[in-house]
Amino acid sequence: MNTAVSQPSGHDADVLLELDGIGISFGGLRAVDDLSFKIRRGEIVGLIGPNGAGKTTVFNMITGVYRPTDGHIRWHGRDITGFAPHRIAAAGIRRTFQTIRLFQDMTVLENVIAGQHLRMRQSWWQGLLNTPAQRREERELIERAMTVLQQLDLADVAHEIATSLPYGAQRRVEMARTLVAEPELIILDEPAAGLNEQESAGLNDTIRAIRDKGITVILVEHDMSVVMNVTDNIVVINFGKKIAEGKPADIRSNPLVIEAYLGQDDDEDDPLMNTVKDQVNA
Amino acid sequence: MDKHINPSTRAPSGTARVLRLAGPALWALGLLIPQLLSPAWITIGGIFAIYSIVALSQDIVLGRAGMYDMGHAVFFGIGAYTCAILSLFYNWPVLWTIPVAILLAAALGAILSAPIVKLRGDYLLVVTIGFNAIFVLAMQNNLFGLTGGADGLFGVSGPTLFGHMFGTQSDLFYLDWIVLAIVLWLMRNLDRSSLGRTFRYLKHDELAATTLGVNARNYKVAAFALSAGLAGLAGTLFAMQLSAVSPGSFRFTDSVVLFAIVLVGGQASVPGVLLGTAMMFVVPQIFTEFAQYRYLAFGVAMILVMILRPQGIWPARKGVI
Repeated sequence: MNTAVSQPSGHDADVLLELDGIGISFGGLRAVDDLSFKIRRGEIVGLIGPNGAGKTTVFNMITGVYRPTDGHIRWHGRDITGFAPHRIAAAGIRRTFQTIRLFQDMTVLENVIAGQHLRMRQSWWQGLLNTPAQRREERELIERAMTVLQQLDLADVAHEIATSLPYGAQRRVEMARTLVAEPELIILDEPAAGLNEQESAGLNDTIRAIRDKGITVILVEHDMSVVMNVTDNIVVINFGKKIAEGKPADIRSNPLVIEAYLGQDDDEDDPLMNTVKDQVNA
Repeated sequence: MDKHINPSTRAPSGTARVLRLAGPALWALGLLIPQLLSPAWITIGGIFAIYSIVALSQDIVLGRAGMYDMGHAVFFGIGAYTCAILSLFYNWPVLWTIPVAILLAAALGAILSAPIVKLRGDYLLVVTIGFNAIFVLAMQNNLFGLTGGADGLFGVSGPTLFGHMFGTQSDLFYLDWIVLAIVLWLMRNLDRSSLGRTFRYLKHDELAATTLGVNARNYKVAAFALSAGLAGLAGTLFAMQLSAVSPGSFRFTDSVVLFAIVLVGGQASVPGVLLGTAMMFVVPQIFTEFAQYRYLAFGVAMILVMILRPQGIWPARKGVI
């Protein structure tokens, strides 16, 4: 609980992150427009929408990769709009990427240690002189990384080169790299992409386990078996605008959502569309 | 903490273990050079040690932090000129000029790099070439009446340490060789520290690194400062070894040679960089009758290595821990 931040009157203390009318334009394209939603502590929120709806752009604005042209992003009621990515990380928000971004040529362990960057206390000269305090900290970094790797069933491959692992394992390494920082909010950008059925079933358990540690989760996902099963709340966007928000069961029967997905009639494989079709036909 | 977690690093492979012993053994063998070889080789050994330090420092920016610094001779030159000017014009003891040269070069590295580290690789490369051109011009034009113009400065003596004056070539060789050992130890520590890892995170994926909390700009400036400081250290040794400094030693082409040594030897690889330095500065001395072809030979080597072995002759070991 961040009590140091003065909370504006009427601010719901449970709200961790609030997007307030954010928008961004790329040239003439309005990628996200007047988008508002709140994420409460301990929730698992799904952000869904057809391809190109602007989901990853929203994540990039939250994590400081893009600066919104309009609106505000508040974290614990404090305005963090336009903060650089490293300051967002320092605030306690961590993310994974749709296309896995592990440090190539480095081991799984080294990748996960990177997640502890802000916990590092060794100064540059302690590192260069290899002082006892620095060596002790290095051992602690490795121990903490190993604990998280063990939880994600990756301890056996700790010394493998991260990018040489199978796709599903690489996704878990990326998750381990964010979890080792013990963030308050973790943002997962299509965590099930490229996973087989068994792996994506395991992912559901992993996401719930993350929430059970007290970490709030927001995820973009196309795999509806993940979205419908693990999320508490879903925000649906299309063409950069929010078209619906609610519990998974409500979203499934929302006519606007059905239309947004059915509108894409060339996308036969879209799982939500199929789910929705089944519902409509039933 | 679970008891069965083994946080120790992985057991070193056979070759790694041999290397760990081979490095110090080779260094110790090098100490015998003044006893075993002719005076010419003593100087070559000293020059090799000095250029190894500069090339290793170039590798911090280029091979580890992944920035194309094509003006590294500037920092080498700053060290050499600082040593010469302070000892010749202000009568400083040569030994005392060393820390000043390191700090001055590091400060210049930080100041010059701060506005440019945001530039993409190729743009940064062009800017650093510009730095090098300006530096040589300033030295040639006898800046503040201190740099001696195109001829440079003469008469730098060796340092006096524990009452012993390092005057002869073999004295200087031992000095160079000991400083090289210290720098090699620092490089080993760098690779195992948070600082060195963060440089490599930035090289491989800057966006991912920043979302983990890395302040990219600060760390890139730090890479330049550290690298420039070590180059400045090498510069003081260079001024003592030749007892003279002149702009001709710190031209753009010298920066190109340093850059090429790292690429040909192997980025972020200490043995690779040492090998590259030896190819550039020692091997030509063995074939003195062909010495005028050394740029030709090195040029051909560069072309072949980049085509056939782009990771360098002796690539860095993947994964330090």
